[in-house]
Amino acid sequence: MMKKILVANRGEIACRVLRACREAGLSTVAVCAPNDQGTLFTELADEVVLLEGDTIATTYLDQAQIINAARSTGTDGIHPGFGFLSERADFAQAVMDAGLVWIGPSPHAIEQMGDKMTARKTMKAAGVPVIPGEEVETEDEAEALIALKEAAERVGYPLLLKASSGGGGKGMRAVTSPDAFEEAAVAARREAVAAFGDGRIYVERLLSGSKHIEIQVLADRTGTTVHLGERECSVQRRHQKVFEEAPGPTMNAELREAMGAAAVAAAKAVDYEGAGTVEFLLAPSGEFFFLEMNTRIQVEHPVTELVTGVDIVREQLRIADGQPMSCGDLHLRGHAIEVRLYAEDPANGFLPAIGPLTVFRPPEGPGVRLDTGVREGDEVTPNYDPMLAKLIVWAPSRNEALERMRRALDEFVVLGTTTNVRFLRELCDNEDVVNGATTTTTIEDTWPNGWSPMRSEALVNAAMASAAAAESFGMHRSTSSSGGAAQAEGPASPFATLSRRYP
Amino acid sequence: MQHRFNVNGDEVEVTLNKTDGGWDWEGATINQHTRGRLHVRMADGRTALAHAAKVGDVWWVHLDGHTFALERMEPGASSQQHGGGLVAPMPGKVLETLVEPGDEVQAGQALMVLEAMKMEHRIVAAHDGTVTAVHHQAGEQVPQGAVLLELEETN
Repeated sequence: MMKKILVANRGEIACRVLRACREAGLSTVAVCAPNDQGTLFTELADEVVLLEGDTIATTYLDQAQIINAARSTGTDGIHPGFGFLSERADFAQAVMDAGLVWIGPSPHAIEQMGDKMTARKTMKAAGVPVIPGEEVETEDEAEALIALKEAAERVGYPLLLKASSGGGGKGMRAVTSPDAFEEAAVAARREAVAAFGDGRIYVERLLSGSKHIEIQVLADRTGTTVHLGERECSVQRRHQKVFEEAPGPTMNAELREAMGAAAVAAAKAVDYEGAGTVEFLLAPSGEFFFLEMNTRIQVEHPVTELVTGVDIVREQLRIADGQPMSCGDLHLRGHAIEVRLYAEDPANGFLPAIGPLTVFRPPEGPGVRLDTGVREGDEVTPNYDPMLAKLIVWAPSRNEALERMRRALDEFVVLGTTTNVRFLRELCDNEDVVNGATTTTTIEDTWPNGWSPMRSEALVNAAMASAAAAESFGMHRSTSSSGGAAQAEGPASPFATLSRRYP
Repeated sequence: MQHRFNVNGDEVEVTLNKTDGGWDWEGATINQHTRGRLHVRMADGRTALAHAAKVGDVWWVHLDGHTFALERMEPGASSQQHGGGLVAPMPGKVLETLVEPGDEVQAGQALMVLEAMKMEHRIVAAHDGTVTAVHHQAGEQVPQGAVLLELEETN
């Protein structure tokens, strides 16, 4: 039986996991970089180990330091969250070699899914449909280029060149005609070698107008592997998801059954254990194709939790402890939507923003969930990812969920740092979002020249009059001028008295 | 009571008229609600509760689902911004300095690379010119608005 868990992560996901551990009666250890001291997640843990180092590589990515922290605190298991070390097979192995429980799939499963060419082959063998294409294993550059060119002729244009070790759009090139092939292939290879030290490239047909649909799976050691339905995450900017929902607005029971069965087959093909996500492209024809498997908990897991009633993180803890999962048959109820709140300026190319969270007042009320790693008075720094919070709503129908999201976003007050709240709010009025007809290019298609807020003259004037009146009333003498003093004076937040923690 | 704000580089003057316990401007009426909040009646008749907080010289106002950052220009302050300098669009770290004082550069040429929040951002020349000063070197942290380099336009 595990009694103490170390969370090898920070911010919002560390809070999520630490809270789940507390609910499960497990003691907790947080690890924290010097520049994270005093942040919310460190306050939710029973013990905090300070990592030494001033870069991500020497703190949250330092395997030896984290395993030492686990050993010195008598930890039984390590939960990696997402990002950082969560999909590193060598870390999973090192954790197990240290005699600790790794809360995630086996190093072998991580490796098999991490190398995209291997994953494609494994999926084909398991009968899971993959995007029409061909793998080229040759290491020699000249030979590989010839083989790729031949493969491209068979696959047909337009096509995508992808790096086998790729991710985040690196080593990826779209090619629309044979004339452009050679230059794109050389560039993709060069980028892949530089980023991953592995120049292997494969060819896939380019499927435009597709939807991004992913299936949540859970597998335990007793041999049970189930899926928890789909999430649709088509709305993205720069390959970054911003709006996610469950169930998929155009999904039907038959397609869910077929995609769910394919996801379960994918998981079983690598003897998967724990929580994972199988991503598919759903073509306008209704055909679906395996894209990749994420061998970890995902950012958007809450939408699945709200419509299935399953606590996915709690199940991860249970499964890693060798117990059977507690969830039974799949019953979907209502509709859930998640938006990601970023400290960024959507009217200025989504450039990251920093500053104090002088006022941070999340919405409340029925069907509203907030997963965050910050609270009022914190500083947003350039050290880490600019995601401040995930706002998730649940309602009986999709339309009501959208209405609730609009209300919640209108209520969300963040002062002191620029955020994308208004962009998300306008996204909720977008015709494709309202009709459930979003694709991966919805944002570029809607705002080809960039987004700027729609504001009436009456609103802008009233805002300026408010600022002027606030000055005349002398409100700046009662509100703080820097983030840090906000709690002490407590001008706006009734939560400030509740140990600086949101209920 | 008169206030001046810098709105996207333009100076806007707001002259408040005193009303019954509040202030009035361009058809908007503002009354104090509780600390940090204002009761607002807009020119189109709609009413809303606004949140306001001042950070430095900037008044942050949340009104009707919109957030505004309005820089108040203190009496006597100048609106003149850094001349021909190239400024940091966000706070971050200088990754690389690609030019030296005296270098001739062309419009669009990358001069410096900044990094913040895992994103790289290139500072490029807006016009042909000669680099007259480089104020920051690789490895240095720079705040938003810091003048990074100076460029003299070629005539």
